Amino acid sequence: MSDKTRKYEKYTITRDGQLMLGKAEQEQIETVWDRFQDQLPQCGYCEMGLSCRNCAMGPCRVDPFGEGPQKGVCGADADIIVARNFGRMIAAGAASHSDHGRDLVEVLEKVSQGKAAGYEIGDPGKLMRVAAEYGVSTEGKDASAVAGELAFAMQEDYGTRKKGLQLISRVPKKRLDTWEKLGITPRGIDRETSEMMHRTHMGVDNDWLNLLLHGLRNALSDGWGGSLIATEVSDILFGTPKPVTSTVNMGVLKEDQVNVIVHGHNPVVSEMILQATEDEDLIKLAKEKGAAGINLTGVCCTGSELLMRHGIPMAGNHLMTELVLVTGAVEMMLVDYQCIMPSLGHTAKCFHTLMISTSDKAKFPEMEHNEFHPENARELARGLVRRAVENFANRNSDRVYIPVEPVKCMSGFSVEAILGALGGTPDPLIDALKAGKIRGAAGIVGCNNPKIKHDYGHVTLTKRLIENDILVLDTGCAGIANAKAGLKVPEAIKFAGPGLKEVCGALGIPPVLHVGSCVDNVRILVLAAALANTLGTDISDLPLAGAAPEWYSEKAVSIGVYVVASGIFTVLGPTPPITGSANVVKTATEGLNNVVGACFAVEPDPEKAALLIRRHIEQKRKGLGLPSLDI
Amino acid sequence: MSFARGQIMRHVIVGTGIAGTLAAETIRKFDPKSPIIILGGEPFFPYCRPMISMLLEGSVAPEEMAIREKEDFLSRDIELLLGESVREVNVLERKLETERGKVIPFDRLLIATGADPVKIQVDGCDLANIFTMRHREDAERMLKALPEVRRVLIVGGGLVGLKAAHALLARGTKVAMVEKLAHPLPLVVDGKSGAAISQRLEEMGVMLKMGVTVASFAGNGFVKEASLDDGSRVRCDLVVVAVGSRPAVSFLGKSFIRVNQGILVDSFLETDAKDIYAAGDVAEATDVVLNRRKVNAVWPVAAEQGIVAGMNMAGKRVVYRGSMGRNVLRIGDLDVLTGGLVNAPPNEGYDVLEDENRRRKTYRKLVFKGNVLKGLVMLNQVEKGGTLLSIIQRQIPVSMEKERLLEPGFDFSQLLPR
Amino acid sequence: MKEVVIHPERCVGCMQCMVACATAHSKTKNLLTALVESPLPKPRIHVGVGLYREGFPNRCRHCDPAPCMMVCLPGAIYRDETWNTVLINTERCINCATCAMACPFGVIRYHEDSLGPPEKTIAVKCDNCVDRQSRGLVPACVEVCKCGALTFEEQSSSLKRKTDEMARRVSVGAEDRGVVESPGFDLLNALKKANVELSGREASL
Repeated sequence: MSDKTRKYEKYTITRDGQLMLGKAEQEQIETVWDRFQDQLPQCGYCEMGLSCRNCAMGPCRVDPFGEGPQKGVCGADADIIVARNFGRMIAAGAASHSDHGRDLVEVLEKVSQGKAAGYEIGDPGKLMRVAAEYGVSTEGKDASAVAGELAFAMQEDYGTRKKGLQLISRVPKKRLDTWEKLGITPRGIDRETSEMMHRTHMGVDNDWLNLLLHGLRNALSDGWGGSLIATEVSDILFGTPKPVTSTVNMGVLKEDQVNVIVHGHNPVVSEMILQATEDEDLIKLAKEKGAAGINLTGVCCTGSELLMRHGIPMAGNHLMTELVLVTGAVEMMLVDYQCIMPSLGHTAKCFHTLMISTSDKAKFPEMEHNEFHPENARELARGLVRRAVENFANRNSDRVYIPVEPVKCMSGFSVEAILGALGGTPDPLIDALKAGKIRGAAGIVGCNNPKIKHDYGHVTLTKRLIENDILVLDTGCAGIANAKAGLKVPEAIKFAGPGLKEVCGALGIPPVLHVGSCVDNVRILVLAAALANTLGTDISDLPLAGAAPEWYSEKAVSIGVYVVASGIFTVLGPTPPITGSANVVKTATEGLNNVVGACFAVEPDPEKAALLIRRHIEQKRKGLGLPSLDI
Repeated sequence: MSFARGQIMRHVIVGTGIAGTLAAETIRKFDPKSPIIILGGEPFFPYCRPMISMLLEGSVAPEEMAIREKEDFLSRDIELLLGESVREVNVLERKLETERGKVIPFDRLLIATGADPVKIQVDGCDLANIFTMRHREDAERMLKALPEVRRVLIVGGGLVGLKAAHALLARGTKVAMVEKLAHPLPLVVDGKSGAAISQRLEEMGVMLKMGVTVASFAGNGFVKEASLDDGSRVRCDLVVVAVGSRPAVSFLGKSFIRVNQGILVDSFLETDAKDIYAAGDVAEATDVVLNRRKVNAVWPVAAEQGIVAGMNMAGKRVVYRGSMGRNVLRIGDLDVLTGGLVNAPPNEGYDVLEDENRRRKTYRKLVFKGNVLKGLVMLNQVEKGGTLLSIIQRQIPVSMEKERLLEPGFDFSQLLPR
Repeated sequence: MKEVVIHPERCVGCMQCMVACATAHSKTKNLLTALVESPLPKPRIHVGVGLYREGFPNRCRHCDPAPCMMVCLPGAIYRDETWNTVLINTERCINCATCAMACPFGVIRYHEDSLGPPEKTIAVKCDNCVDRQSRGLVPACVEVCKCGALTFEEQSSSLKRKTDEMARRVSVGAEDRGVVESPGFDLLNALKKANVELSGREASL
């Protein structure tokens, strides 16, 4: 099989990916790459953001060459159409994260009511701290009561009754002032998304800049709203992550065990599955069926959640989700929502794998639907894991191919854990920054995209940055990519520059810190805000940068926008659909600097992106009066 | 070699295939006055030889096989002499003589007599109902015999054998096929495609025996059975011998026109003898891929050679860029297209790239020497074949990554400069 | 006479030409009803993918001389001088695919033609919308192309336009670009090209 994998070197840098692509071809299983090829050439109107389907007077497109139609039927020009389309991407992304947060808040509420067997308050300390932020008094109240009140208060953040989001209080004053002046301080989580849908309706907001500004606000309602609530409540319910060691890549699947994979995003489901796989009776049943045990692993963000909190191994990221099934070793994959390809059910049908959808919001072709609610989650999880164990007997060992050995990685670097590793305060980090041993920090985040060689963008960029003494924090698919490349172990300091090597070596941490899932990008923001507050600056003064070298999803658009709106320069790999409007492009890549102190850059080549980030970081250092270099 | 404008030349063309027909039409395009005569050994109006298997199958009527309408020859003032085989060509006296004794002088001569089928010389080969399939007459005689035929044996798994098999299957007979080499179309496809073709044939009901040949036939007047050289026997009431063809050059015996496999011609398709040309299955012109002369007996080569020979005969000096063997055929739902050097000899610096995509049911093999494409095999997606064949024909180095040409998505779009 | 001219640098790959072509060669000539016809009508223009994931509308050039016509076994391919178009006689075609070998552009396809003999797979290619032209309409592909990749004009006028473009490009101060008219499209294509080239790059691990 391996002599044919040369051609897959174009698709992915990972060995397990290349080998599994070979198997998929042998077995005639369609993959995301096949479907991408079939789609080519993709429509240029849409790639440029110049097509609009918002109303029945259309559909419309604008000719970028100036000869065909220049306006939609309603009269919207290229700027408006591009801005409207981009706005809706932000809305969709923000809505996804925020809905994820809402579901967690509802579980918190149910926990406080005692109606969620299996769920509990995992970090009472954090509960009290966050409750205090919301002005919930904790004197003489037990965790349940506080949880109930906190849930109520958080739900208010979602609505119209309140005129502001609570957790914005964590943002440095200078940044808040900037937002106020621009009129982009988020008012309510659902409100901003709803208003974006309103504004982008035909005949509402037809000022492209006004639309973009609301886009910033919509994204902020996610970054300092929905996603932040999601992360904090996940910590409260399931525990705040602490440094933990685990393994990644397809080698985490075990030939001799019942393999259960969780996919999707919300830990409200995956945590229950975890509990079930640790059930003694079920493990005994597995052994009776001839398996050595039950092996729970994850893919994508829900996997990251389990990895961060419990060291559960990760089998792969976004473009690997079909290929993990092709190993033939998966008894059951359970999914909830977001980033789950509708092709998975079909792929699983080629094997004995049971595909279970769990969310009423997310049903898929050829998957069996078993709806999870806080009330039934624990029992349902047990029942499903039992079926997975029984499915072990149906595995065809001739078709099993787990081609690699897993790679070790460290995870669990929540802000609390990072501060803990630093000794309790950010001072050691600040000192290292001031001395220049660490030049700055970069958040490498985001998805995979078949337009970019899988994991190549993430790993290349990360390596270049750590070589140049820039600390990397990563989340999402990027985090898994770097882990698979062996960058998440303390020994990886050998890839780092001398300063970073020294600092990380002394602390016993890798030069690349896994901060979590995609909602956990807010951890980076929280850390940035904490640093800014300590130094008395704005976030945009700090030597920080963000990058999404292989993004694909609308959620990534929202994240990128809230990161930039919060003052952090962000480099994108794949091109966003805005090239149809020179105005929007200019604003995104230059103009935003003048309004929010940060902007985007689009650079597909991670080597060049690394240079952009280095240059930016050194400039910020200079601005702070720190020793800097001219790149 | 030029001639004065308006000078009348007597053009004689021997052969009523596509080479001869196109040569005549081409000469007429440039020379409206000179007489043009086409001689044909068969008594039939020029017909498309590859279609005789369709005649056998019953899917075309004889008149539908005509290459041109009668009107096309009349309106161009091209004289047709049918049923006249050439006995001798007198190069010095510039005249030819037919079997029936007719003497025909010429100023320019084109020999486009095609090829004769090879017969096998074994015991019993004179029994009735043993046919070759080259001429329309063969198909007609087979049709006459068919009502009494239940089992057919096809000797030879080449193009003609496959077409005969297809036609006779359609006629409801049981078909068995033997081939001396390892798989059908051994000279035209590679092992992998050969295996796919074998599989398809067997699925269609053909009984295949590869690696064997016929030792003898037996029967009482009519063939009844064939004995193979592996000791086995095959019952058959009709045999189609399709073991190859040889350029039809027997009448050139006394002339000094050099013949190798076929008539050797230069880059203007002229033979050793001045003003005598050859084109089509009988001609041995330079093969663009092999860079030496070779007979490439396929329809499109005959067509292009007829045109180029015609131009040269009409006084337009046109260099023939060289022939390239190529074939396309459909076997059930499997389409096969090949061109150039398909089976590269090992250790001669050829780089063979292959890609099989079982999901899309495609297979492609490319034979490169350095960056120059020399050979091609495609299973399915044959609509893309022409683009790849044109790259072989031009023998210029490919400037993009060679693997690109293997991708199912490759097409002309990628050849555009951007 | 007017002919369809392709300007590949304008193609955005939207494939509207394919949809319009198939519809124009259906029995009912209406997109919605064409979708339920049997056989399903198929386009004769094919948008291919370039090296850098750009689109290219690949269409029969109606060559003169036409290689497909020269090699056609039953003589089914012929030239209609009135419309300067190479056409295929659907009754005579025997589906031998010899024309596939001859066409260097790969524009011939083999399937049942909505307007040809029923249940017969034959060679199908662009017919220059001769039927539409005879009714005073422009070819279907040109009608729907909104970015100027397909135009219907006299050869002389399209040549003049290209000459003018060339002259502008080589004049002092002109930017050295493929297409001067759309910086946004150029930007998109430059980024797509970078994406493709990166896939070929060896990972430095």
